[in-house]
Amino acid sequence: MKSGFTLLAAGVVISLSLAGCGASGDAAGSSGDGSIEVQTGLAVDSKLLSTLKEVTNSFQQANPTVKINLVPNSTTYEKDMKVRLASGNVPDIWWTHGWSRDRYSKFLLPLQNEAWATNFNPALSDAMKDSTGAFYAMPIDTDIAGIIYNKDVLDKAGVSVGTIKTWGDFETAAAAVKAHGVTPITVSGKANGPAGNLTDWISPGAYTKDELAQLKNGTFVGDKYKTVLDLVAKWRDQGYFNPDYASAATTDMDQALAQGQAAFIFSQNNRINNALQYNPKANLGFMPIPSLTSGPSYLVGGEMNAYGISKTSAHTEDAKKYLAYLAEPANESKLAQSAGSAPGLTNATANMGAVQASYDQWMTQAKTTLVPYFDRVYLPNGMWNTMVTTTDSIITKQSSVDAALGQVESDFKSLYGQGK
Amino acid sequence: MAETLITKPSPLPATTPPHVARRRRRKGGLVNLLYMPALLLFAVFTVYPLINGVGLSFTNWDGYSPEKAMVGLANYTRLFSDDTFRMVLTNTVVYGLGSTLFQQVFGLGLAMALDRPLRGRNAARAVIYLPVLVSPVIMGTMYYLLFGYNNGAFNDVVTALGMDRVAWLSNSTAAIAIIVAVNTLQFVGISMIIYLAGLQSIPSEYYEASMLDGARGWKQFTNITLPLLQPAFATSIVLNLIGGLKLFDVIKVMTGGGPGYSTNSVSTLIGVVYFDNQSAGYASAMGVVLFLMIVLFTLVLNSLLNRHRLEA
Amino acid sequence: MHLSTNRLFNAMVGVVLLLAALIQLVPFYVAVTTAFKPIDDRSSQLVPPSALFFGNFLTALNQGNILRAVGNSVLITVISTVLVCLLGAMAAYPLARRLTSLNKTVSLVIVGLIMVPPLSILVPLYTMMNQLHAINSYWGEIAVMVTGHLPLAIFLYTAFMRSLPLSIEEAATVDGANTLQILFRIIFPVLKPVTATVIILSGVSIWNEFSLSGYLLAKPSVQTIAPAIGSFFSQQSSNLGAAAAASLIAVVPVLVAYLFLQKYFIKGMVAGAEK
Repeated sequence: MKSGFTLLAAGVVISLSLAGCGASGDAAGSSGDGSIEVQTGLAVDSKLLSTLKEVTNSFQQANPTVKINLVPNSTTYEKDMKVRLASGNVPDIWWTHGWSRDRYSKFLLPLQNEAWATNFNPALSDAMKDSTGAFYAMPIDTDIAGIIYNKDVLDKAGVSVGTIKTWGDFETAAAAVKAHGVTPITVSGKANGPAGNLTDWISPGAYTKDELAQLKNGTFVGDKYKTVLDLVAKWRDQGYFNPDYASAATTDMDQALAQGQAAFIFSQNNRINNALQYNPKANLGFMPIPSLTSGPSYLVGGEMNAYGISKTSAHTEDAKKYLAYLAEPANESKLAQSAGSAPGLTNATANMGAVQASYDQWMTQAKTTLVPYFDRVYLPNGMWNTMVTTTDSIITKQSSVDAALGQVESDFKSLYGQGK
Repeated sequence: MAETLITKPSPLPATTPPHVARRRRRKGGLVNLLYMPALLLFAVFTVYPLINGVGLSFTNWDGYSPEKAMVGLANYTRLFSDDTFRMVLTNTVVYGLGSTLFQQVFGLGLAMALDRPLRGRNAARAVIYLPVLVSPVIMGTMYYLLFGYNNGAFNDVVTALGMDRVAWLSNSTAAIAIIVAVNTLQFVGISMIIYLAGLQSIPSEYYEASMLDGARGWKQFTNITLPLLQPAFATSIVLNLIGGLKLFDVIKVMTGGGPGYSTNSVSTLIGVVYFDNQSAGYASAMGVVLFLMIVLFTLVLNSLLNRHRLEA
Repeated sequence: MHLSTNRLFNAMVGVVLLLAALIQLVPFYVAVTTAFKPIDDRSSQLVPPSALFFGNFLTALNQGNILRAVGNSVLITVISTVLVCLLGAMAAYPLARRLTSLNKTVSLVIVGLIMVPPLSILVPLYTMMNQLHAINSYWGEIAVMVTGHLPLAIFLYTAFMRSLPLSIEEAATVDGANTLQILFRIIFPVLKPVTATVIILSGVSIWNEFSLSGYLLAKPSVQTIAPAIGSFFSQQSSNLGAAAAASLIAVVPVLVAYLFLQKYFIKGMVAGAEK
């Protein structure tokens, strides 16, 4: 019996000394060991992360005194960042995932005076630059998104993408797909975002230029937003959404698209590459978004993979040097290519793989209008979550169009008031 | 010697006889120093952050910006008219009581089955306990895959039987039931072990004596087994109730709280309001109310357990 | 006749148990089939892989840093669990033996602490840990894990100690032993079974802890196993196969520890079950 206790006591002594060792090794916290901490926002096995590692290694060979620490992240990334910002333990560099201006700019260094800034892709200006022309992150890529489709499914239903010019055409196509026993549109309701994409994609086409300006100035143009929500409600009633909407995860969107269980998804183009992992033979592409008024179809463009530097970093000069290295055309090209999208700087080029054909068709040849993310530019900061939850409440029939519209309007007003 | 003390029911009463307690109390409170290290840890790593959290509940903080403003009791008054919060409170009680009920029923049933001299019962015990060892995130993810609409195993069976696929988790009532079931399956092993232990501590003479009186089966169960298992019930119920009321990971991976907000528990809703809605102040108020309710709950539970202790 | 109905009943019980065991194995079966199939395999989860595919395990080991995470988790779980047992047993002694109203209140507060929702303290706790330079340090994580798991341990130890007969302690007191001697010589040695219970409940929970550990140990070099598995699911992409493989690797150490402690475990639970 005594031996049991001796064992326990010995265990404690060993443990405490071990804990002490561990503590002394890392006592200074995340940035105290002199390395630059980069919150990559990327999955540990993602293609972009492995390219980033490669480029970072060559940077470190050229700059042996600078230590870069690349941190992969999980689905809790946004929460992690909020906790870090709240506590003052801010990483030196982090992934801004579309929010470099609206959410993070007060924590980030302005970068418009960097040498590479002259090559900043103008397609990103609306989404990333503030009213003074300052921007806060180095864009790896320019996200160009429309409606992603599975061509095999559309072919079987006798639908040709080229014929979809209006939402009426789109609905005809959806009905044909449904008649063939396939879900026309797959959306993930479990993830906090894809439902918002749906309305974010449709909304720019519901407003005229004047009305957009009114939104920017704090007047909520409700009757137009209602047309967007009505469209979603109509699709719900027609049964165009996946029956497992509420519990579907983003991986379910990828899989359904890849395996021909969905014809359309409204999402950033990185879903195409994800989907191809599940079925490399799938025939995927993207198409422009029809307008709700008589305007032309358009694509949505904005910030996706971009990295900003903390204002409070102890290594701002080295961090800038690092971003400048990433921004070198050869590196930027490599990074954009593994992200599968167009580069964020004009002096880089990328082969977008599966997305290339659609890109050539709509961007290079048809010169489709590119509009910024609706919520980032025309709605006050904080509205994104409202867009997600109200769209979700319509798809799940938790509230009526009018109730959802009322929610959007009241949040618009209170958030606009707070922001100004 | 130690083991004989434990496996045989002790001949002495469990509660300290009054005269001993009195003498010890007089002997001095120095022995209380023994819980000081624990209390110190609680003070620093739980109570202090908790008090800070209470402070946040009087602000309109968004959860990450440097600036915040005091809003008084606004967050608390908002809670009273918040239908979502009320719904989620009900869900939390359903998760807590539902899991607890099923875990007791199945846990006791399995324990009684495994108390019989069957071949392979050790293997069965280990297998039924196995899910306890796995993180709820992983367990939840595996069941999420099983219930998947397009590629889930359950729908593979359903379609093989010639029926239409079912969107299992898209109906909030069904989703809540499935979440309770998954939580029950994962932690039924704990109840099973507790009851198994309780059953093994009931002296077989009791059963033999009652057999002579002609009692068996159901009568033995209600007259001997149930009353003598009462302390086991207490431990098991407390553990399961805590688990059920704090349920978080399984909900997050299986439904994410949807459809709408309809399958959230208070814990998951706090996360949504704090991080997604960027209303950290309001989320903190929810946390405070949840904590107060749980304290109240604990008080009631404790007095019930104490009463039982006196009876026993 | 009595015997044959009994045998029939036993057979029925056996069938029910077999069914229960099979149900419990279903998620593990799916984890195994997922882990051994490549990502583009479209066969049903119920169908075993046509050929064993080890790519997911390689991804988990090479890119997911899983072995390093297992090492970190072992270190943190062992140290934290030892401390939980030691501090828990110490704290329980006065609470079990000295029933003043102060100590009754302390017991109650401790039970209340079991229920503090982790999210309500996350941001203040993280802020404090940052000021203490405890982020990404083992000691910070251990302190938080020990604090989080102590209340339940104290609860179990207190219940167990109350079930111990007083006679030996009485005798020892008469022989002139002081409280510490009683605690270390008489009480601690008989705590083995309940300690096994505390080790399994706290150990498993610390091993699998996700919500706080992901914040406190964010650097890959100090990351524990649950967040490491989580990093196969990012906002942009997910790798279920690798996550399943990593999960299977992660469960092996706990399973071994459990099988090792199993026989004490049931005895420890007797304690709580006894009056």
